[in-house]
Amino acid sequence: MQERNVEIEVRNLNFYYGKEKVLKNINLKVYRNKVTALIGPSGCGKTTFLRCFNRMHDLYVGNRYEGEIIFEGRNILDKNVDLIELRSKIGMVFQKPTPFPMSIFDNVAYGLRLKGVKGEELKEKVEEALKAAALWDEVKDRLKESAFSLSGGQQQRLCIARAIAVEPKVLLFDEPTSALDPISTAKIEDLIVQLKTKVTIVIVTHNMQQAARISDYTAFMYLGELIEVGPTEKIFTNPEKKLTEDYITGRFG
Amino acid sequence: MEKIRIFRRKIINKFMLFISFLAALYGLFWLFWILGTLFVNGFKHINWELFVQDSGPPGLNIGGLRQAFVGHFIITVLGTIVGVPIGLFAGIYYAEYGRHSKFFWILRNVTDIMVSTPSIIMGAVMYALLVVPLNHFNALSGSMALAMLMVPVISVTTFEMLNLVPFTLREAAYALGAYKWQIIKDIVLRSAKVGILTGVILGVARISGETAPLLFTAFNNHYLSFDILKPMASLTVTIFDYAMSPYEYWHNQAWAASFCLAFFILVLSLLAKFLLHYGTLNVFKIIKKKK
Repeated sequence: MQERNVEIEVRNLNFYYGKEKVLKNINLKVYRNKVTALIGPSGCGKTTFLRCFNRMHDLYVGNRYEGEIIFEGRNILDKNVDLIELRSKIGMVFQKPTPFPMSIFDNVAYGLRLKGVKGEELKEKVEEALKAAALWDEVKDRLKESAFSLSGGQQQRLCIARAIAVEPKVLLFDEPTSALDPISTAKIEDLIVQLKTKVTIVIVTHNMQQAARISDYTAFMYLGELIEVGPTEKIFTNPEKKLTEDYITGRFG
Repeated sequence: MEKIRIFRRKIINKFMLFISFLAALYGLFWLFWILGTLFVNGFKHINWELFVQDSGPPGLNIGGLRQAFVGHFIITVLGTIVGVPIGLFAGIYYAEYGRHSKFFWILRNVTDIMVSTPSIIMGAVMYALLVVPLNHFNALSGSMALAMLMVPVISVTTFEMLNLVPFTLREAAYALGAYKWQIIKDIVLRSAKVGILTGVILGVARISGETAPLLFTAFNNHYLSFDILKPMASLTVTIFDYAMSPYEYWHNQAWAASFCLAFFILVLSLLAKFLLHYGTLNVFKIIKKKK
C-alpha cells in the first residue's frame, strides 16, 4: 500500500545503459506538494535517476529498467504504460532553456494544443501559466515575438510556464539554474518554492546551497547508489552516514 | 634570440598569407574569366526574338529559342516536384527514424556517395526505364533523371540540417507529451527550415545546369511542345546542339542561352547564400536586421 501523501514511490530501481549498471537498488519516496532535491557529485546518477520518472531513457536504444516506480497506483516502468499520458502528468524542465522556434505564446500553448485546448480557454490557460511562472508582466505586450528574443533566465521561466500549462502532477527539474546568472537563479528558486502548492517537485542540483534553500527533502547519491535520504534540515545538519557528511562539508565532490 | 624568433614567425605568417592570396586569386580569375566571356559573347545577342520565337530553319538568320526556355522550365519544375518530396522525406527518415539502424546507416552512406554520381548514369537509367518501354524519347524521362539527381542532394542536406537541431529540443517536446510526428512537424522541421530550403534551392540550381541526363531522355525538339510524353527541348541540350552546328547565328544564340542559364543559376545560388545568412528572404526583415 502506498501512503496517502506519497506521490511517487521508487522500489528497488536498477537502471542499465547497455550492460553498464548505473543505478543500483534505489528506494525513495517522493512526498506530495514537497520539493525533493537530488544531490551528489558529478556522474553519480542523479540526472539518470530523474529521467526514469518520465521514461526519457526510452528515446534511446539499449537502456533497461528493473524494479518499480509507483505513480497513481501503477508501476510506470511497465511496458504497456502510455508514455504520452505519463509525460503529460510528469513534466520536465531541462538544464539549458529549450524554447521552441515559435512565438512566446505558441511556446506555452504547445502542450495545451496537443491536448486539444482551443480559443478563449487556450488564451486564459496560457496567461495563467505565464503568471504562475512569474513571467506574465515581462512578456504580456510581446506574446507574438519569438521566444529567442527573451533572456536566458526568461527563457527558462518560459519553459517552466510551458511545463505547468498542461497541469502536471509532478515537475522534474534537471539543474534548471546551472546556465543562469545569480539574479535569474534567485527568481527561479522563488518560483519553485511557490509552485509546490500546485505540484510535486523533484530537482537535481549541483548546488548544495540551492538544495538547502528550496527543498523539503534531500537525497544524497553516490556512484549510482542512494546513500541517504531525509528531511533537508537533518541531512544538512545531522547526517547519519559519514559519506553524506563528507560531501556536505565539502571534503570531496 | 627572442627577437629573431618573433621575426621568423612574422615572416612565415606573411608568406603563408601571400600563398593563400595567390590561390584565391587563381580561383577567382577563372571564375570571372568564364563569367566575363559569357557576358561579352552572350549579352549582346539577347533580344526579343530569342524568347518569343521557336527555332528557325538551319542556316537562316531567323528564329529564337522559345521552345528551349519553355521546355527547360517544364522539365526542371517537374523534376523538382518529384525530387524535393522524396529527398525531403528520405532525409527526415534518416535523421529521425533510422538513427539507430545499421541498415539505414549504410543506406545513408550510399546516398552520400550518390551525390557525386556522374549525371549521365541517371540519364542511362531513365533511358532504360522510361524511354525504351515507350519507344521514343520523352520529357518525363528527362525530368525523372533530374529528380533522381536531386534526391541525394536534398536528402543529405536535410539529414545534416536536422542533425544540427539539438536533441534537447526534441526531449523538451517529448516531455510535454507530444507524439514523434508532431515533434518532427512542429519543432524539428521548423528549427531546420532555413537550412532545408537552402538545400532545396541548391538542388534546383544543381539540376538546372545538367545536360548529360537529358541528352538521350528528353532529347530535343525544334518546336514548342507541352506534351511531356514527347521529346522536349531544353536549354542545355539546345546549347550543345547549336554550339556543334556550323551556323554563326546558332552559335550566337547558344552564347545568349548560356548567359541566361548561368545568370539564373547565379541568382539561385545567391538566394541560397542570402537565406543562410539572414535566415529569411523577406526583404523588409532583412532591412530591419541590417539596421
